Amino acid sequence: MTPFLSGFMITLLFVGGVYFVAVLERCSMTGNVSWSGPARSFLLLFAQEEIKTRKHDKVFFETAPILFIGVILLTISILPFGRGSVIIDLGTGALFINAALVYVMVSLLMAGWAVNGVYAMIGGWRALAQLIAYSMPVVMVLTATVMRAESMFLTDIVESQQSLWNILYQPVGFILFYISALAITFLPPFDLPVAEGELAGGVWADLTGARKLLFRLGRLALVLTLSVAVVVLYLGGWMGPWLPGFVWTFLKTLLVAASFFAVGHFIPRIRHDHLLEYNWKYGVPLALYNIFQVGVVLLL
Amino acid sequence: MELLITALIIAAVLFGIGLYGVLSQTNLVMIMMGIELMLGAAMVNLVAFWRYLHPEAFSIQMFVLVAMTVMALEGAVGFAIATQRFRTSGSVEMEESAELKG
Amino acid sequence: MISIQLILLIIFGLAAIWFGWRVFMTSSMVRSALSLLGSMVAIGILFLVMEAEFLGVLQIMMMGTEMSIMAIFMMMYMMDPGGLGNMDMSHQKKISIAAGVVVTVLIVGVALFADWGTIVTQVPTPHEQNRMLGMEILKRSMMIFETAGVTILTGMIASIAVALSIKKQR
Repeated sequence: MTPFLSGFMITLLFVGGVYFVAVLERCSMTGNVSWSGPARSFLLLFAQEEIKTRKHDKVFFETAPILFIGVILLTISILPFGRGSVIIDLGTGALFINAALVYVMVSLLMAGWAVNGVYAMIGGWRALAQLIAYSMPVVMVLTATVMRAESMFLTDIVESQQSLWNILYQPVGFILFYISALAITFLPPFDLPVAEGELAGGVWADLTGARKLLFRLGRLALVLTLSVAVVVLYLGGWMGPWLPGFVWTFLKTLLVAASFFAVGHFIPRIRHDHLLEYNWKYGVPLALYNIFQVGVVLLL
Repeated sequence: MELLITALIIAAVLFGIGLYGVLSQTNLVMIMMGIELMLGAAMVNLVAFWRYLHPEAFSIQMFVLVAMTVMALEGAVGFAIATQRFRTSGSVEMEESAELKG
Repeated sequence: MISIQLILLIIFGLAAIWFGWRVFMTSSMVRSALSLLGSMVAIGILFLVMEAEFLGVLQIMMMGTEMSIMAIFMMMYMMDPGGLGNMDMSHQKKISIAAGVVVTVLIVGVALFADWGTIVTQVPTPHEQNRMLGMEILKRSMMIFETAGVTILTGMIASIAVALSIKKQR
């Protein structure tokens, strides 16, 4: 297959994947599958009047949604979808994932601050605490995968899983990365920054129209991106029999995304102090243990 | 040659702005921001020297890592002092800490 | 010779300087902290332009977290004068401006008139750099790096000890 054709296919599959994730999100909230629902809410937000709050911070109000979706597109561009089909193969790809995810936090902080509302601001500070806490284990478990591959190229990390997928090689790391991915995408049960019940929408409470549309699209793309990251780092990426590589990547990705929403459907929202306590008291030591264990196994 | 000098001039201007901030601001957190800018300028210098003069000497990159550690530590200890200062005197304005005057 | 590297250096260098200037020129604390973040990100991009890929990405990652923490601390201790209008928070302005300008001129003079020797054009690839940096850390500079680790531990203990409340708890 020519590079152009495979690139086109990947773009198409990604857009389709985002739509599928949107359907899953509605399904996890309302309980019934509606294939036209996301399209309808897209049109609704597209045509909605843009209400601006009084005394909003003009610069941040405009830049926050663009920063949010921009860093997610940057993250997508370094993830490999198949053998050779990756837009930029960075020499520091594994570190770059975390560097880009930090700016999700910055944009939420900016959005929460900019609208000049109480709920939004509390949501923004909550996002800060939550995402700082959960980017610590992410960077530590990424170190463990890099140790096994002896390279920070994401393609090399996938190649290193030829004999045994990382989910079996370092299960502790997989569990930590999975939970941290849930927390970074602020999906339920970790949806404290945008909690519907207690903060009336949190960071997004006062946003309408195109800005809210950018945030919601960005969150759907973020879910899909982190699912791809889970697949690339722990589930063997494009490896699988019979089908071409990128099809396997997408099948696994959609499975992981569905499992994210299934977790959110069945577990109640975590209290904020518990969220931080579990991470700092158990998550970070477990991540350090994971590095130690992988190092011992590598040396044996 | 002009590449190296451009990088050094950028770093010099950043250092000057940081120094202005450290000397002129009255607030502890703003003073810390000035220090961060000065450290950032120093790191630009180090990377420029590594890139244009000695790309084989990786102790320079190592030194940049140590400088980043210093930045993070400066943040942590500075915020701790600010917290204690706020608890005891209710503000972090440095004009009000006259007891430091001997 | 005008190269693309020089143009990128100038663009992102000016961005770093402009954001750095905005830090002390705005009256809102959050804006000031995020301007510093902008300046630090521009410095990280300067590292990327100078082909130190690992350091650039590391700088962008660390500063994102650090400056957000700075924003929340500024909010906690300064009640954000953004809402209070233009509050002047500076003193000894003339001396500071003079010191800044004099130091800048001195450093620029050194940069312009020193003999820097020959400029190297080739650098190792990013992957090679990561390997060499790791070798440097684990071989020659191991003691220094471990000292940095111990310093971090000392800093953690010291900052917790300083920030603890004096009040008796039962």
